[in-house]
Amino acid sequence: MICLIALVVFGILGLFSAKYRTIAKEAFDCVFRRITLRKCTTGLDRRLKSQITGKLMRSHPRFARNVYKHFEVISWAFTIILIASLGYSTYSVYNLFVFGNCNGPIPDAFCVFDPFISGGEEAQCTGEGTPGQITGILEVHPGDPSIGPENAKVMIIEAGCFECPYTKQAVPVVKQILSHYGDNIRFVYKDFPMSSTHPGAQEAAEASHCAHEQGKYWEYHDILFENQGKTNFEDFVRFAKTLGLDTDQFSECLASHKYKAKVDSDFREAFEIGVYGTPTFFVNNHVLVGPKTFNEFKQIIDSELARSG
Amino acid sequence: MGLNVEKIREDFPVLKREINGKPIIYFDNACMTLRPIQVIEKISEYYREYPSCGERSLHKLGKRVDEEMEKARNIIRKFINAKKFEEIVFTKNTTEGINLVANSLDLKKGDVVLTTDKEHNSNLLPWQKLAFKGVKHEVVKSSEDNTFSLENFENQMSKNVRLVSVVHTSNLDGVSTPAKEIIKIAHDYGAKVLLDGAQSVPHHPVDVRKLDADFLAFSGHKMMGPTGTGVLYGKRHLLEELRPFVVGGGTVIDTTQHKAKFEEIPQKFEAGLQNYAGIIGLGEAAKYLMKTGRENVEKHEIELNKIITRGTENLEKILLVGPENPEKRGGVFSFNVGKTSPHEIAMMMDEMENICVRSGAHCVHSWFNEHKLNGSVRASLYLYNTIEECEKFVETLRKITYLVK
Repeated sequence: MICLIALVVFGILGLFSAKYRTIAKEAFDCVFRRITLRKCTTGLDRRLKSQITGKLMRSHPRFARNVYKHFEVISWAFTIILIASLGYSTYSVYNLFVFGNCNGPIPDAFCVFDPFISGGEEAQCTGEGTPGQITGILEVHPGDPSIGPENAKVMIIEAGCFECPYTKQAVPVVKQILSHYGDNIRFVYKDFPMSSTHPGAQEAAEASHCAHEQGKYWEYHDILFENQGKTNFEDFVRFAKTLGLDTDQFSECLASHKYKAKVDSDFREAFEIGVYGTPTFFVNNHVLVGPKTFNEFKQIIDSELARSG
Repeated sequence: MGLNVEKIREDFPVLKREINGKPIIYFDNACMTLRPIQVIEKISEYYREYPSCGERSLHKLGKRVDEEMEKARNIIRKFINAKKFEEIVFTKNTTEGINLVANSLDLKKGDVVLTTDKEHNSNLLPWQKLAFKGVKHEVVKSSEDNTFSLENFENQMSKNVRLVSVVHTSNLDGVSTPAKEIIKIAHDYGAKVLLDGAQSVPHHPVDVRKLDADFLAFSGHKMMGPTGTGVLYGKRHLLEELRPFVVGGGTVIDTTQHKAKFEEIPQKFEAGLQNYAGIIGLGEAAKYLMKTGRENVEKHEIELNKIITRGTENLEKILLVGPENPEKRGGVFSFNVGKTSPHEIAMMMDEMENICVRSGAHCVHSWFNEHKLNGSVRASLYLYNTIEECEKFVETLRKITYLVK
């Protein structure tokens, strides 16, 4: 059974390095013989068993002995896990082609196969909360920064962090959506500052609301993302000045933490329903975690538009 | 012990190597020995200083090759105490030497060739192959303890036995055959004797004149010489009677379109351009062994084998191949651990402590088949192995027996 595992592992490694190809070939020969009900003659299974247990014997003799004794059972267990994960991966690839996301028609998690997203499952800022099921939808309050008519057919709420590179990565996609769907979309941005990993995130969020007060929220939102990493008080004031805001008013607003309660409240609400990373998008009732592609959003938005007639 | 092992080890560059932070413990000497720097340098000297043809080119480089080849042949002559240097025929290895005799000796229908039941395939197949000529191959069964049975041998001797071809020291268990007695008995019946000296010549003093051996074949790579080198010794008059086996360039004085006039011995057996670098290197290896003294090598190996034998005698499941007394096994410790595959044991030893041993049937399938065994693990020692290495071997084997218990 170990030969089947070796075939997959060394087959993949063999794609990148020639030194694994011989062993992959041996494993293939062994698997082929087993399938055709013949005896494996390469001795690969025995070799792997001896090498693995020999290595373990150096540091964990008792464990090595158990592995040696139950090697066939362990091999079977790994083979079953391997076959199950291969099956699941195939299903995910099928979903990717059919639905644009490997998680199926209602994607609420990250898709490792998606070639348009870099970083795989790590491609989200985490650190606040535990990854798991998101159990609700964020509420929109009066005064929340938004774009689009209130009665739009599709509401997109983003829980984002100005200092999170993945939230930044989602900015152009959001812009593309807004430009493509126009008044069919209402987009709302809510703060979910990942302060434990990005110490300047809280103040950046507060600064954005100080700009909102002077009617330049979205312009300031863009400047914050463009200058990600610059989180000094002077930086925030400088950005405000660039946009022609009243810097005295802005400085006072920021220094007094006027919008701290607002940012905290956004964070708490999101945290309570299970948001754990940024960006997290709520497209009507659908949840998307991580910076998705335009096509992924499109699949959901189109179905929502069709549903609402 | 008579050997300054630490000093000897300095001559072997490979022993300075480490793999995964551990030194190499080389116990596969019955298959292939390591080479001292003197041999490596001698081979390199040929390629650096006189890389040309011998026995045909008259220029200075060619003459130097001839000189070095003659020196090598003479060293080998002294090494086995042959009478004449013409009695030394260079071959590729022991296998080729035995095949040369099998194919050149005038064996006829009804003639019998006797071997032991512990022969390497190289001293078995050449005789099996002669069945087409009606030559009979008969096997002398070993004693209970796997040593040679002179009684069985004498019972099987007859006037029809033309050749006794026996292993001098077995690669299977290290047991040596009583060559002198065998030769005497064989000669009494008018039979010739060919000794397979692949495992004896590198480890014990071998004197062909004292033994009165008719033929002796051995390999270079088992005595610290280069691969692809070997020697067939034959008494002068016997070699002269043999027909050439492989023929071609170098074996003839003159040819016409239909006839050839062959060279004298040993050239008539050395067809084609020779492995000059290898043969010259082999001479150097023999020189090294003569300087060290094979009687010292033999003693050293037995002492080491005693340490291994004593250290493992209380281990469960260790099944020794051959006699219990290490003095009868020279430098070979061949064993099984219960029914565990010998290959598994060998690979674990390599993985755990870089201990290089051989596993399998060691080309003596016939013996293993007869004893219904899949093979064995074989640790074979040589002059550069140490007491510490043997202790490490015992400790590792102890761990393995715990693992497979």
